[in-house]
Amino acid sequence: MSPDSSTATTSPTASPTAEVQDLVAIFCRVLESTDVVADSDFFELGGDSLIATRVLSAIARGHGVELSFEDFVLAPTPEGLAAKIAAGR
Amino acid sequence: MSKNHDTKETSSDLFDAFTEIALRYPERPALFHHGHAVSYRQLRAWAGTLATRLGTRPGVVAVQAAHTPETVVGLLGVLAAGGVYCPVDPAFPLQRRQEMLAAVDCRAMVTAEPETASPLGPVCVALEPLVESVANTARLPVPPAGHIEVGPDEPAYILFTSGSTGRPKPVVTPRRAISATVHSLRELFELTPEDRVLQFASLNWDTCFEEILPTLTTGATLVLDAEAHAGSFPRFLRMVERERITVLDLPTAFWHELVLHLAEDRLALPSCVRLLVIGGEAASPARLADWSGLDTGRIRLLNTYGCTETTLITHAVDLHGPRVPSPGARWDAGARAPIGRALPHVVQRISEQGELLIGGPALALGYLGLPQATEARFPVLDGTRCFRTGDRVSSAPDGVLTHQGRLDHEIKVRGIRVDPAEVEAHIATHPEVTAVAVAGATVAGRSTLVAYVVPRPHTTVGTLDADVLSYLRERVPGHLVPSRITVVPRLELTASGKVDRTASHQRHAAHPQAKGDLR
Repeated sequence: MSPDSSTATTSPTASPTAEVQDLVAIFCRVLESTDVVADSDFFELGGDSLIATRVLSAIARGHGVELSFEDFVLAPTPEGLAAKIAAGR
Repeated sequence: MSKNHDTKETSSDLFDAFTEIALRYPERPALFHHGHAVSYRQLRAWAGTLATRLGTRPGVVAVQAAHTPETVVGLLGVLAAGGVYCPVDPAFPLQRRQEMLAAVDCRAMVTAEPETASPLGPVCVALEPLVESVANTARLPVPPAGHIEVGPDEPAYILFTSGSTGRPKPVVTPRRAISATVHSLRELFELTPEDRVLQFASLNWDTCFEEILPTLTTGATLVLDAEAHAGSFPRFLRMVERERITVLDLPTAFWHELVLHLAEDRLALPSCVRLLVIGGEAASPARLADWSGLDTGRIRLLNTYGCTETTLITHAVDLHGPRVPSPGARWDAGARAPIGRALPHVVQRISEQGELLIGGPALALGYLGLPQATEARFPVLDGTRCFRTGDRVSSAPDGVLTHQGRLDHEIKVRGIRVDPAEVEAHIATHPEVTAVAVAGATVAGRSTLVAYVVPRPHTTVGTLDADVLSYLRERVPGHLVPSRITVVPRLELTASGKVDRTASHQRHAAHPQAKGDLR
């Protein structure tokens, strides 16, 4: 799935920019990278399914939404995950 | 073939041991899958039906391995028929699966979905659903053990390990090895029929046998649950509590992440868990320190070591919990974790170079169709056949070993041994690549592969890294796909003119994420 089709589902009442920024920060932290932007693919940055669990834990803590790894692989970018969080609320 | 009754406990065939338990506990739950129990009587009947369909001694039988009761039935049914179990991950690329089946001369494949298996070649043997199978057999008594005489030296299963040529390298394990190891593991895990053991490991590597076989030869319950694989720790922990799991066997890398999650939220594992087995790679001293700071004192944390060629686990040691000399002590974050002492069935020796060699009944028969590789790794020393692990170890006075590194260039990726030459062999077949070096690196605290490729002259370099990645993903399983591919003008060479993986990595790992300790 392309990130564009995921962001299309973002709820207009959410604050996508803040959530995307938060996810960019989470990606940077767990991947020990500074190269993350809104449409960076987690797996292309060297992430794997185990490092993804750290992102999922951070989302559960910070946003109260428990996504699965399946959700993650369908949208492995900050903006894609922000859309999943919005859809999961 | 006659059996030596003096050593019946250890040499009793694994399937006979399962049948004896099914006779003793016919109504106890053997499997528990999403709220549905399969009793020992049902499981024995289901496996028996499959064995009848396969016929006596069906040779190598591939089983589409997924986290389902059907896969467990496939394993037991093949063993009951006197066949050789060979799991095949339906998620692997088709080409890889075809190569695997061709390498082991597989003629039959057990599958619940014959249409998905048909491009692979072998004859499909349909596994009928439980309801259908059991409706016909539920009232029948469990058939007695030993109806097919299969000798202990005959192969029980074939698994694949990484080989330098790029082809899957099949390891053949005899029934003797799995029977002896499972006997030791039942005692090591202190299993009782009250235990509920989670099936977590991939069905395509041997760790899953640690979960399945000691459980089903004790009368305990094996729990299969999709929430185990959801990738979300809150959901994983709720499932453990809901299913009253008493024994967890987790890859060390997964346990590291679990500890990070627990430590951040100041949680402990649900109180039902009494034993946590880890293995696959070195346990991080920092995570051990975190673990020992949590409310985990009642849980046995058991570190394990073993190779596919020496069958599941050969060494183990309690790192924390009620069995350590000073329970409750915090782990020193600077202290390396030992891999343990030899289990009762294991014969070990340590060479002058410090290499760990394993002998005894748990040895594999060798690499199928690769006599030279078999001879090199399974030498006969002083009349004893051994396996050279390639691992350097040191031994403490109490016999506990600590890993000190590899003697060869193999790398552990997600707990799976990878020969970088195998990955290089696959990348080298890409038409736009002239040279390649694959090295191990640490990315975000995880062991991973990185590749450096030199393009052919006049190749458009722009998308070559992504092209090589998708080329690999079509051909090899995920653990052989590097997490980073970097296009470079040239590789570093050794004095003798061979590609120097370490030097190439050090020179070209300019990207901050690719830096890290070489392993």
